[in-house]
Amino acid sequence: MAFVLTLAFVNGFATVISKMINYRCTKVLGKNNGSLVNYVVASVLSLFLLLISSHFQIDLYAFTAAPWWLYLGGVFGIVAFLISMTTLSHLKVMESTILLLVGQLTASVLFDTFAFHNISPGKILGILLVAAGIVWDNMLTR
Amino acid sequence: MYVILTLIAGACQAAMASLNGMISDYLGMFGMSLVVHAIGGLLLILYMKIFTHEKLKITGMPWYLYSAGFFGILLVVVSSYCIGIIGASYMTCLSVTGQMLTSAVIDHFGWFGIPRVPFNKKRIPCFLLILAGLIVINLS
Repeated sequence: MAFVLTLAFVNGFATVISKMINYRCTKVLGKNNGSLVNYVVASVLSLFLLLISSHFQIDLYAFTAAPWWLYLGGVFGIVAFLISMTTLSHLKVMESTILLLVGQLTASVLFDTFAFHNISPGKILGILLVAAGIVWDNMLTR
Repeated sequence: MYVILTLIAGACQAAMASLNGMISDYLGMFGMSLVVHAIGGLLLILYMKIFTHEKLKITGMPWYLYSAGFFGILLVVVSSYCIGIIGASYMTCLSVTGQMLTSAVIDHFGWFGIPRVPFNKKRIPCFLLILAGLIVINLS
C-alpha cells in the first residue's frame, strides 16, 4: 500500500516535469504541434515496448475483447486538452486550475462509486478537506 | 459558460484516467498506452486539419524535449496502475498534492531556469489541511 501511495505521489512530481517539457515544446512548435509531439513519440515508444514485453507476439484478440467504450479514454483525454486550452485564455490561471480540479474530483468520486465501488462517507470528507486545502492554497499564491 | 466547460474538461480527465485503468486489464499497460496515445494523436491531427488548418510539424526541437513522449507513457501507466488499487479520487488527491509540493520546491530553488519564488510560509496551513484530508481518506 505504501508503495502505491508513494507512486501516486511521484506521479504528481512527474506531472510537473512533464508539463514543463510540454510547455517548452509548445513554445517551439505552437500549441497543437507541440502537444502532438507527446502523442506521436508516446505511441511509437508504446508500440515498441508492447512488442518487446510480449516477445513480438501481440495478443490481438485482447484488443477486440475489450468493450468498445473503454477505448473512449483517448477521446476524453484530447477533449479535455482542447477545452482547457480554449477556456484558459478566458479565465485566470487560478480559476482554471481550481475548476479543472473540482471537475476532476467530482467525476472521480462518481467513477469510484459506480465503477470501482470503493467510496465511503469518510473518504468523501477527506476529499473535501484536500480540495479545500488546494483551493485555499491557489487563492494565496496566485 | 467557460466555467462549465472547464469543469467538463476536468471531468474528462478523470474519465480518461478511469477508463485507462479499466482497459489495462485487457491490453496490459503498454497496450493501453499505445491505444490512448494513438487515438488521442489521430484526433488531434484531425482537429488540426479540419479546424485550424495547421501544417503538421514535430521536428526541429532540441532532442531532450522529445522526452515528452516518455513522460506521457510514464504518467498514463503509473496513474492507471494506482487507480486500479486506490481508486480515482484518492489518486487525484495524492497526485495534485505531489504537483503542489514539486512546484513549490522548483519555485523556491529556481530550478530549470525559472525565476526564484521563495516559499510563502502562509501556505503551510493549506498543506496541513491537505495532509489532514489525506490521513482521513487513508483511515476510511
